Amino acid sequence: MFLSFITDLFQQDFMLRALAAGFMLGILAPLLGSIVVVRRLSFIADTLGHFSLVGISVSLFLSSIGFSYFFEKPLYLGIIFSVIGGLLIEFFRRSYKNYKEISMVIVMSLGAALSAIFFSLASKTGSLYEYLFGSILTVTNYYIYLIFITLFIVSLLFILFGKKIVAVSFDETNAKFLGINVNIFQIIFMVMLSIVVSVLLEAAGVLLISSMMVIPVAAGMRIGWSYKSTVIISIIFSELSVLVGLWGAYSFTIPSGAAIVSVNIIILLIVALTKRIISARRIKNLSRKV
Amino acid sequence: MQIYINKLTFGYGIKTVIKNLSLTLNQGDYLVIKGKNGSGKSTFIKCLLGINDVKPGSIFLDETDITAFKKWPKFGYVSQTFDGFNYEFPITVSELLNVSSANNVSVQTRLKLLDQMKIFNIQNQNINSLSGGQLQRVFIVRAMLNNPEVLILDEPTASIDKQNKTFFYETIEALNKQGITIILITHSDSMEHLHYTHVLEMYADSTNNFSTRQHSTEGGDE
Repeated sequence: MFLSFITDLFQQDFMLRALAAGFMLGILAPLLGSIVVVRRLSFIADTLGHFSLVGISVSLFLSSIGFSYFFEKPLYLGIIFSVIGGLLIEFFRRSYKNYKEISMVIVMSLGAALSAIFFSLASKTGSLYEYLFGSILTVTNYYIYLIFITLFIVSLLFILFGKKIVAVSFDETNAKFLGINVNIFQIIFMVMLSIVVSVLLEAAGVLLISSMMVIPVAAGMRIGWSYKSTVIISIIFSELSVLVGLWGAYSFTIPSGAAIVSVNIIILLIVALTKRIISARRIKNLSRKV
Repeated sequence: MQIYINKLTFGYGIKTVIKNLSLTLNQGDYLVIKGKNGSGKSTFIKCLLGINDVKPGSIFLDETDITAFKKWPKFGYVSQTFDGFNYEFPITVSELLNVSSANNVSVQTRLKLLDQMKIFNIQNQNINSLSGGQLQRVFIVRAMLNNPEVLILDEPTASIDKQNKTFFYETIEALNKQGITIILITHSDSMEHLHYTHVLEMYADSTNNFSTRQHSTEGGDE
């Protein structure tokens, strides 16, 4: 089973596309996920995903009434709506300064409601399931370009402003003294995150985007000894789960997002358990010496 | 930097915390802010840092109204409980200091400050493995990295032991002698060993909630 997966991986075009998409997402998700975790915004990806789904459902609706362009490229509207969702979160966050999580609930509910309305208005809703749970095996070339451009832009931003991004994320109060305008930073970060979330949507599905961003980082945090090492370990875990998840999705015809996230969780459990065993042994050895 | 505060009044809701406070500090001054919990010390600092809106009254920093002031990197600030800092995610001391440095700050400057603060040997340690005192010094190094003209310390000795307190005050004094303006908030420490130039005492009573004095280093208040 595994051998046929490997041969198909390099012989079938759709497998190569899935591999390329998965590889790039494997870097993107934890890279941004690490910042999301540090800023305690783990639920934000879910919220943005729901709003991105509005774009997808509007695309399907538009294509059902004759605009076929949107049927082939629903992610464009997905990205636009995700960015709108991100800006809405920022707007509500400022209105409820001490209850920032309210903003996420408002935007997520609005996203879910609008998606349901447009999906029901669109006559063809067969692909809803794919958008909920991901379908990396069916990605098209345009999607690969889209991820590539996103990865390129995000990497460029990290190369140029990585220091500032990390500094603000760890300590917003201090950002002012580094000459960083936190408000502008928030908006740029939110736009960047919105784009990445909607790009992740096709592979991971709305319900599993945040898992792909957060769980590898949660595992990396357990064993990382510095920020850099934690991010690198998270990316390795993420790539590993993409590869194994891809195999699972292909071999057992299960949704790709679900397969990838399941592997992510297994890795997290193994890491947590191994760490616990090692520290228990260490304590035992120490007490023996004493 | 000259800090000019004119008739500053600030309150939360109907409660006035600061009333008609006026104060001028010149470059190299050393202000100690004393007062019990709830007397408005931290509120005052938040006004000075532009976090709280100043109305009525005015604050001018280098002759610029605080609402238009942009040169915040001229300030170094160490908050009381390191509010808002995320400790749980792994980051080493040197990584934190690296991301907090402006591009023109050399590695030598950072190493020199670490050495001065006696925390040279912990630079590769994870922030979450440090003691309160070590963390305190890391944050002071961070505040000092970009060569500030004013260093503000909000109850800096709250989490450090007596021996380290003495070392800490000596270090602050050395920085002050280099020409850096120091604003130090203290809640309980005795001030005999401090060589400050100004003192601001704050009280919870809003009718007379502060008094300012200038202090000569030769002894006695003016």
